[in-house]
Amino acid sequence: MARPTAPRRKAKFLAAAAVAAVTLTLSGCSLNEALFFNLPEPATTEGAGIANLWQGAWIAAWCVGLVTWALMLWASFMYLRRWRRNRDMPVQTAYNVPLELLYTLVPLVMIVGLFLFTIREQTPVIAVENNQKETVNVVGFRWSWGFNYVDQKVYDVGTPGVLPTLWLPVDEKVKFELTSPDVIHSFWIPDFLFKMDVIPGKMNVFELTPNRVGTFIGRCAELCGTYHSQMLFNVKVVTRAEFDQHMLGLEAQGQTGMLPSGITTGERESEGKNL
Amino acid sequence: MTILNERPTTSALGPEARKQVRRSHLGRTAVKWLTSTDHKTIGYMYIIMSTIFFMAAGLMALVIRAELAVPGLQFVSLEQYNQMFTMHGTIMLFLFATPLFVGFGNVIMPLQIGAPDVAFPRLNMLGFWLFFFGGMTVCVSFLTPGGSASFGWFAYSPLSSIVNSPQVGADLWILGLATGGLGTILGGVNFITTIFCMRAPGMTMFRMPIFTWTILVTSVLVLLAFPVLAASLVVLFADRKFGTVVFNSENGGAILWQHLFWFFGHPEVYILALPFFGIASEIIPVFSRKPVFGYKGLVLATMSIGALSVAVWAHHMYVTGSVYLPFFAFMTMLIAVPTGVKFFNWIGTMWRGSLSFDTPMLWTMGFLVTFLFGGLTGIILSAPPLDFHVSDSYFIVAHFHYTVFGTVVFMFFAGLYFWWPKMTGRMLNEKLGKIHFWTLFIGFQTTFLVQHWLGVEGMPRRYGDYLESDGFTTLNTVSSIGAAILGLSMIFFLWNVFSTWKNAPLVTVDDPWGYGASLEWATSCPPPRHNFTSLPRIRSERPVWDMNHPEHSSVSPVARKAAVSTALGGSSEGTSS
Repeated sequence: MARPTAPRRKAKFLAAAAVAAVTLTLSGCSLNEALFFNLPEPATTEGAGIANLWQGAWIAAWCVGLVTWALMLWASFMYLRRWRRNRDMPVQTAYNVPLELLYTLVPLVMIVGLFLFTIREQTPVIAVENNQKETVNVVGFRWSWGFNYVDQKVYDVGTPGVLPTLWLPVDEKVKFELTSPDVIHSFWIPDFLFKMDVIPGKMNVFELTPNRVGTFIGRCAELCGTYHSQMLFNVKVVTRAEFDQHMLGLEAQGQTGMLPSGITTGERESEGKNL
Repeated sequence: MTILNERPTTSALGPEARKQVRRSHLGRTAVKWLTSTDHKTIGYMYIIMSTIFFMAAGLMALVIRAELAVPGLQFVSLEQYNQMFTMHGTIMLFLFATPLFVGFGNVIMPLQIGAPDVAFPRLNMLGFWLFFFGGMTVCVSFLTPGGSASFGWFAYSPLSSIVNSPQVGADLWILGLATGGLGTILGGVNFITTIFCMRAPGMTMFRMPIFTWTILVTSVLVLLAFPVLAASLVVLFADRKFGTVVFNSENGGAILWQHLFWFFGHPEVYILALPFFGIASEIIPVFSRKPVFGYKGLVLATMSIGALSVAVWAHHMYVTGSVYLPFFAFMTMLIAVPTGVKFFNWIGTMWRGSLSFDTPMLWTMGFLVTFLFGGLTGIILSAPPLDFHVSDSYFIVAHFHYTVFGTVVFMFFAGLYFWWPKMTGRMLNEKLGKIHFWTLFIGFQTTFLVQHWLGVEGMPRRYGDYLESDGFTTLNTVSSIGAAILGLSMIFFLWNVFSTWKNAPLVTVDDPWGYGASLEWATSCPPPRHNFTSLPRIRSERPVWDMNHPEHSSVSPVARKAAVSTALGGSSEGTSS
């Protein structure tokens, strides 16, 4: 069996690379989707910063990745014994201290940079300033969600069969208080680019400002038993007027007061202090 | 040599007599293996059991992927689905990857340091049987009425309490893992003692092969991490059976369990990774015909990874709202530095080498390409604001399969193809090995690359079902097709093992790859009961290389003379890099 000569092999590889590139283009996914994995457009004020950090971090990661993959593949092909004559026994290089220092220090500098950007974006996302316009006590239970609109003194609750809907007024800061009466759940609205665990015996708190009117889906993200995958809910971000009307509607249905939050009221008001 | 002499005697007999001989051989072999305290035999038993568990958990993965291929429930109920992924994760981590490290460590490490056996051969044997029966205890839970544990492999409290998971399968899961964990701890003790006390004359610590170094650091991590796991499991059992209230959520037990579990769980990830990094560090020099680049830096990087790995556990808990994010974010990001050093050491070893892509090297390249991407997504996840969105999503599933599968499975096969002649006396078939690699590689990338998009678009992990309207269908179907290809690749491996067992000629040389450097290549294939009939002089970290290629050795006078003449001539390429 005749072995293809080196140039023909190289041509084959180039052809394969070209085919891959064309397939990627024709498959219709934009460069943005391919590089950044189609991050949902953030529907909150805080989400914009996260989306920026996501993009910046990925640009840096792709650069590091491309350089390293290129070095690997370069070494694999350039130093292939079959392609190079007189290379049966290479020079036995074992150390190159300046080079070693370089590839230790450069990543260290990059890491420090990433850390600083991370802290800058993280602070506003997890800050709890207590200047919210609405407070919602989210009760995650097996296997659905209840929403206590604390300031309006009304509640709404769902079942795995009938998904509950969380209504939020647009452009107003909302404080979420997460409580669970049974096991750990996780409150995730993908379009908000945020989730937080709902932990029994502890109240978790965060604040977000939804800034896009629309209907979004929310999901439980922490395994909570058999029907974990059915613990879904809807989120409706609406104008203030519609929100108030919905609250009146809940009141008219007699859904006043609060669902048991899995934690006593006194503790709930202690602003998320650990028990 | 003895093996070559034994063989013709059976072929001289008639077919009936030969069958007789084989049968009596079979019985004798079984007794010999079951009662063995030989580190190699115990190592083989570890590797064989791990492979069986790997295939069992792989079948569970295929059930999972079949269920997720399209929306709706087709094959299993939601409860069975939860059992599937719980046992898939449990078996892969505790009964495949961890014992596989013990297996490779057992077979190879004593050979590499020129020891006749491990320090405590009977303890070694006990460790294996604890792992075996612990593993069996975990697996028989499928036969109990309530089925196996279904609370995920990290058994978060209070989901794992007696109220929420009353089935006896959960108890078997807890006790089985505690038993197996004890076996691993004993293995760690044994390895550390062996490495410290049983090195051959001349084998200083800084002449040990990198694989032996990784076994040492990994064993230290085992001693730090596994007792925490075993203790937590026993306490969880007491909570379930004796009414103690340690992990009750009113006492903050939900978070306590997470801290204890991940204080074990994160070092565990490196317990899985480091030995397999070690295998890569053994294979690349052999197929590049160069010493490993930056040996001391590589050792230092291994130790740094070990040290950092016990300080990052809470990055699994960013979304619990209970940890100090900046500390754990910074420590997690720091791990990228020594890991990056390892990458550049491996590339540096290949640089200006003389490369050939025999199967072990091919698998190692598969590891490098795959693991790099897992590392990049790891960096993304280390930033809490980015983790908030993708935590507990398919992005995580994709990330840890790129890291753990990329490391353990690729380097498992690399190590098998590499050391198969040393272990069995026969080479595996190169062509089948390459088909095996490419089907597995393509299957793997197809299965897991698309899961990154699924996670970012909002698909949580551990969902047995999803809605048509979620828009997850196409990517899930692609992923499931990839999983099928991945599963099929195992056929080529099994066929390879079977056919070479029957037909491949025996290896007659000590070093069938020709450019080995460490001591396992200084003895026969397979080695005699106590490993060596004679040892080469150990004057560098490459004793076998020095012996077989003295003109290119860094310690021999011949090489020194050659180096001087090259430097004086100054014309040859590659003198400086």
